[in-house]
Amino acid sequence: MDDYLVGVLSNIGVISFIALSAYLLLLTGEISFGQQAFFAIGAYAAGIATAVWGWPLGAALGWGAAMAGTAAVLVGLPTLRLSGLYFSVATLAFAEMVRLIFEQVRYQVIMDGEPVGPNGADGFRSIRYIFENDVGPLQYLGLIYAFLAAALAAFMLLERSRLGVAFRMIGEDAELAGLHGVAVARLKVLAAGLAGALAGIGGGLYAHLTTYVEPRIFDVMLGVHSLAYGLIGGLGTALGPLLGVLIDIGVLESIRALSSYRMIIFSGLVAALLIVRPRGLLDERVVHYVRRVWRMRATT
Amino acid sequence: MIDFVQNTIDGVMTGSSYALLALGFTMILGVMRRLNLSYGPSIMIGAYLGTLVYLQLSASPIVVVAVTVAGAVLAGIYVERLCFAPMAAGAGIASMVSSFAIWMQLEQAAVLVLPRHTYPFPPLATGAPLTFGPFLLRTDHLIMLTCALAVSTGVQLLLYRSRFGLALRAIINNPVAAHLVGINVRTAIVWAFVLASVVGGIAGYLVLATDQQITPMFGMWATFKGLIAMMIGGLGSIPGAIVGGLVLGVVEAHSQWYFGPQVRDLVAYGLLFACLVLRPGGLLGGPPVREPFPWRRGT
Amino acid sequence: MLEISDLVTAYGKIEALKGVTLHAEAGRITCLLGPNGAGKTTLMMSIAGILQPLRGSVRLAGTELRGLPPARIVAQGVALVPENRLVFPQMSVRENLLAGAYQRNDKAGVSADVERMYERFPRLRERREQLAGTLSGGEQQMLAVARALMSRPRVLLMDEPSLGLAPLVVAEIFRIVAELHRDGTTIFLVEQNAHMALQVAHHFYLMEQGRVTFSGAPGQLAEDEVIQRAYLGAREAG
Repeated sequence: MDDYLVGVLSNIGVISFIALSAYLLLLTGEISFGQQAFFAIGAYAAGIATAVWGWPLGAALGWGAAMAGTAAVLVGLPTLRLSGLYFSVATLAFAEMVRLIFEQVRYQVIMDGEPVGPNGADGFRSIRYIFENDVGPLQYLGLIYAFLAAALAAFMLLERSRLGVAFRMIGEDAELAGLHGVAVARLKVLAAGLAGALAGIGGGLYAHLTTYVEPRIFDVMLGVHSLAYGLIGGLGTALGPLLGVLIDIGVLESIRALSSYRMIIFSGLVAALLIVRPRGLLDERVVHYVRRVWRMRATT
Repeated sequence: MIDFVQNTIDGVMTGSSYALLALGFTMILGVMRRLNLSYGPSIMIGAYLGTLVYLQLSASPIVVVAVTVAGAVLAGIYVERLCFAPMAAGAGIASMVSSFAIWMQLEQAAVLVLPRHTYPFPPLATGAPLTFGPFLLRTDHLIMLTCALAVSTGVQLLLYRSRFGLALRAIINNPVAAHLVGINVRTAIVWAFVLASVVGGIAGYLVLATDQQITPMFGMWATFKGLIAMMIGGLGSIPGAIVGGLVLGVVEAHSQWYFGPQVRDLVAYGLLFACLVLRPGGLLGGPPVREPFPWRRGT
Repeated sequence: MLEISDLVTAYGKIEALKGVTLHAEAGRITCLLGPNGAGKTTLMMSIAGILQPLRGSVRLAGTELRGLPPARIVAQGVALVPENRLVFPQMSVRENLLAGAYQRNDKAGVSADVERMYERFPRLRERREQLAGTLSGGEQQMLAVARALMSRPRVLLMDEPSLGLAPLVVAEIFRIVAELHRDGTTIFLVEQNAHMALQVAHHFYLMEQGRVTFSGAPGQLAEDEVIQRAYLGAREAG
């Protein structure tokens, strides 16, 4: 497999985490424009852990996820009683604040005569863990997809579990769900924390993939994109957001030839798609239909 | 003390254009109950056309204004037709994501036509600023403030004294009932977009003519200024949009003076976040109306 | 006056109206009763054009209304007082009335009608500059009726006007319905309150699960049975 393809696939894998993160919140009925903040926190935390503190990758990724998840819970609490549009704009405001704060954060330690660590707007270079430990691109790709597979498995379990049903109930009608005994507030905070942690893992993986992050990357564009992936690929299943990432990055890469017009064409296609499929390609109806057919086949 | 007053004055001036942006944004949000992420970019298209005629045809400022507004209106109608009109009642997020896609499309289209990073924009006024005791009043700022006042008053009159305004307010209050009293809601919505684009186009011209330049970042910038101002002041009200814009302008001016541009933005978003968490209805809105927009249900 | 034939309206794949046929005669009060979920509001919204029926016909004095957008249906002379009133909450009582006359061009006539509404509903005059959202349920109901009347409709549709109102207020609403009839308005009324409805109706229909199951004059079906079927739906035989 040539390096270019490995690079694109790695990219797809890493971005999928933030897509799944936004999707999880969408299930509970919340539209978040701010998951990129947790992506960023995960990236910086994991990066600092390996590059500055010398931790192994696994621990660093866990640390990143924990930091991101905690931040998500801390934000989720005050925004709990915000509904709809207000919540969405609050997430946007928060994410921008995080980005702007990272532009001021400087934490550099001299190692081997070189400063290592985040340097405000100049970014955080030399997150070289995978190079220093001889992890090849293909191996890292495997690692990314191993994590992604685990995340997907967790989602599949979630869809079939009471927790998953409770999430969807909250998404449909929070008040009604509460009347049915669902602990709406607690579950919403749980969802926020899980989504944050998920984005945090993705961020950590991203930082080590590119070895360099800067605050500029974690902007609103990334945030709205993460929502868009789910909308394109479909909101009926966790595979939907992944499909969305695949389509977005895949199509964009393949029409590189028309590079100046890529965005124009692609965006037009997305807008057209959303007219006919407002809940994406793999929307709830398609998934329901596929499941029914699957079950029928299984019983014959 | 002098600095404080000067900054406040400057803040009010820039805030007046934020108020106009918030006004346009609020109109679309009010009638559509959906967020239009292409609002700023559609204004930018108008502004790019304006700068084009300025550069190629040495057009006079009046012509540039006219072209800017016309371009913004055309782009606004394009967005309405593509991202909002065809969507079924429950497809709120789809509209929003679609408007995001078109934001990117419009941005790239603008860059294709005018590829350099910045282009000149005709100035609002040249000449020395006026002095008022120890305070400076830039003439272009004064023009901006005056125009903003005129436009807001015009919109207010339109909304409260005209049949069209009655229709818009009815739709904002209750779209089903608006249908039932015989209002042609679809047509009214298109006109609301036109109105929002006109207001936005004027606001855009005022800002760009004060900066005397335009960059492709303008689209996103305008959307966010409008959004932040609107939410600080209170959703869905003209006084709210104006207050929000002025407050934002003043807070930014002070933050920039004491802490610099990055902290300025941080403070703006912090203010927004605080407003949302503490008083979601905005500074002028009352306590939050429950589910003011059918945002989540069956999105 | 208003003829509905075989009307079918669906939500996605679920048919809420399965072929409704009924008829509201000019100058009379026709009543539609039925249990919750029977499709009464769906029918009203279908006539008004808010919901687009799949098949069937809605004719007003011979003109086909099905397929027209709501604004055109209002232009033809249909006005609906919707379930839950749906007043414009941030607009004053007076502005609500003016909104009702949206399609009219005769300013003098509109002003005169506004006066007439104040006379008929004195409480609205008292509160004419008040925001409609601050009115009581009964006052909002009157406002909704007055608003609908402002378009001088040929047929007045009313969807559950007594919903959520105290008995005294309900009595007043029905008094107004009777008054409107005396003035010559054709009224098609959907109600839960079968008892009061049967007192004013000239003809009534029962609707159950998307279909009309009974048509007759108030005396024809023993009031008890009507109330039973209206609230509970038809029992299985036996």
